[in-house]
Amino acid sequence: MKAKRTFYSERIYPLLFMFAVTFFCILLTSGLHLATQDRAIANERSFTRRAILNASGVNYENTTGGIEEAFQEKIEQKDGYYVADSENGTRYIIPVEGPGLWGAITIMAGFEEDLTTFSGIAIVSQNETPGLGARIEEPWFTEQFRGKQAPFTMVEEGTADADTEVDAITGATRTSEYFRNLTNRAADDAKRIIGGE
Amino acid sequence: MANKLLRKTFMEPLGKNNPVFVQILGICSTLAVTNKLQNTMVMTLGVLFTTALSSLTISLLRNYIPSRIRMMVETMVIATFVIIVDIVLKAFYPEMWKQLGPYVGLIITNCIIMGRIEAFALQNKPMLSLVDGLASGLGYAYVLLAIAFVRELLGTGSLWGYQILGSWWTNWSIMIMPPGGFFVLAIIIWIIREKIMKEAKND
Repeated sequence: MKAKRTFYSERIYPLLFMFAVTFFCILLTSGLHLATQDRAIANERSFTRRAILNASGVNYENTTGGIEEAFQEKIEQKDGYYVADSENGTRYIIPVEGPGLWGAITIMAGFEEDLTTFSGIAIVSQNETPGLGARIEEPWFTEQFRGKQAPFTMVEEGTADADTEVDAITGATRTSEYFRNLTNRAADDAKRIIGGE
Repeated sequence: MANKLLRKTFMEPLGKNNPVFVQILGICSTLAVTNKLQNTMVMTLGVLFTTALSSLTISLLRNYIPSRIRMMVETMVIATFVIIVDIVLKAFYPEMWKQLGPYVGLIITNCIIMGRIEAFALQNKPMLSLVDGLASGLGYAYVLLAIAFVRELLGTGSLWGYQILGSWWTNWSIMIMPPGGFFVLAIIIWIIREKIMKEAKND
């Protein structure tokens, strides 16, 4: 293996070799990326649309086709918010983003016609601790907001009884607090953006 | 002879030369993704795929790679396989991809992969390197799954997302958080090295 060291073997060959490897690797990954791009974008859109449907309380079938169909039929996009025509009346949904413990949390907040009573909340994206803060995605947590009015206070898990109280998540106090701030802000945003106050 | 070598190559990373509890490699991800079995499973499959195929690729190229730029080539190859895992997850398992977040990309920094390439694939034939990579990935996988089993069960009372323990169980939140990973990993390393491996040596 100990070949003679020449200018070519020491300088040119490594350069050419690296160039070839890089070229091939990029060709492979970018090809795969382009081939699956549409699918990834569709997934992303489906995620957002499902969150909007969840927040509005509209019934839908939980498949890609079902989400698409319900969205086309019941949801109307406005400037900065969505209007849903649900079985129980008109619903207004706004996207709200705010800080979490590790990164931004984005939610869809749905409101009834009075723009103060929540019709539902759905998480679009979050980076909280799996198993602790990430439990804000669990239905028992998001369902608590339905039919209630801001401002909320977080109380110990399993003890909420008043109208403005919601259960915090045990072991995720900070995430719960950030989430409370986010939902309280959602109520203000709804009045400002949709109600025009 | 060939079979014996193959067998040794396959068995060593599973037992006495395990990447996690003997070589103490890949600890970052061991601590980070072991609080839920499901996430751990996907993560270990990603590592298994990457370590097996990058060992194979480097071994195929081993006589052509100039030694002074070998690390660049290795990193490039590993990164390519990791990006493939990331793209496939994103397109076909978007929920899982969201949960794992940055950890998929971090497979590239898993020292087991680079370690096996440097220590094994550069000197051995492609088939043997593939087996070595595969076995290293498996050795990593089963230890991680064992840790995740303990952490998810004690931390949330559930396994694979299904509730196992009843309402009498108080979740040990610390198990879900990073310290839990250190505790369980240390206890597992201790049990295996002090009890099982010592006894195997004495026999």
